[in-house]
Amino acid sequence: MAPAITQAEITRAKWDKLAPRFDGMASLGAEKRWKPFKTALFSHMQGKILFLALGTGLDIPFFPGGQDITAIDISPKMLVEATDRIAAYDGTIRSEVMDVHEMPFAPESFDQVFTSCTFCSVPDPVGGLKALYRVLKPGGQLFMFEHTGSKHYPFRQMMDLMTLLSEKIGPSMNRDTVSNVRAAGFEITEVDNIFLDVVKTIKAVKAG
Amino acid sequence: MDHRLYYVVGDFLVSLVIGMVAGLAAWAIVGPGWNMWAAMAAMMPLGMVIGMLIYFPLGSRLGAMEAMIPSMYTGMWAGMVVGMMAAMMPLPLRHALEMGAACGIAEIVFIWIANTILRGVTRERKAR
Repeated sequence: MAPAITQAEITRAKWDKLAPRFDGMASLGAEKRWKPFKTALFSHMQGKILFLALGTGLDIPFFPGGQDITAIDISPKMLVEATDRIAAYDGTIRSEVMDVHEMPFAPESFDQVFTSCTFCSVPDPVGGLKALYRVLKPGGQLFMFEHTGSKHYPFRQMMDLMTLLSEKIGPSMNRDTVSNVRAAGFEITEVDNIFLDVVKTIKAVKAG
Repeated sequence: MDHRLYYVVGDFLVSLVIGMVAGLAAWAIVGPGWNMWAAMAAMMPLGMVIGMLIYFPLGSRLGAMEAMIPSMYTGMWAGMVVGMMAAMMPLPLRHALEMGAACGIAEIVFIWIANTILRGVTRERKAR
């Protein structure tokens, strides 16, 4: 009997397939539009940093220089696409193919964790956030730039509808990531809605 | 609303064009013989699809959610309004385009107002 295909393998295959044309889709335009907000969020980088889901490295130009960053992604092909951006960074980025649910890092390894449009795609978002909680030091900070579902009519219904299609190729559009962060054990310090209540930055801490 | 002129003008023009194209499609498909509610039900999803199709090539210029949500919403409204009007009375093409354009403008203004209300910072706990 053939071995069962895991959720991680399905996710990896989905993003591997998308990798060569990822930048050419809406991603490049989104990055340009989100540049000031991401730059402001990433300006908080300090200490030992874990960056979750590096993708093709579109976020790297917004990182402050001189940081020591461990960046992971479930898709090896995405990281191949990121190679030039990693090489061009004025600091250290160690990229590794890794599933957030199965990170081998020791508990309390990092001072900060950053995510960028990641938890729309992690199959088990609360499980993934709990994994981040585990590897953060007490008092460690979580910084997220995410798009989520909306709590308001008519946007909530529209995001639900879009998710029916978008999930087939990539992200979910209707996740309640703020609640998921709380459910994973973090204390939210700040939520900044950038576009409606859909695109937002979330800052949270692991109580120390 | 986004205060960068490029995105203000871009969002406005895309919404205007999508409204007109969705209006045109509704005008071309729906006639006075149609049931008004059937026309509404059929043109709403068609308008959303038109909005998405126009959004896709523009996404690399205007972004993701900030462009996609208004695009789909404009298409839906313009398709619905023009479709209902075309079912109720003979509608000249010019009026269909004008109505589609008006829907596009009204929709992007609605998005700007909603964004002004919803955007901003909420602090839940004193940051360390």
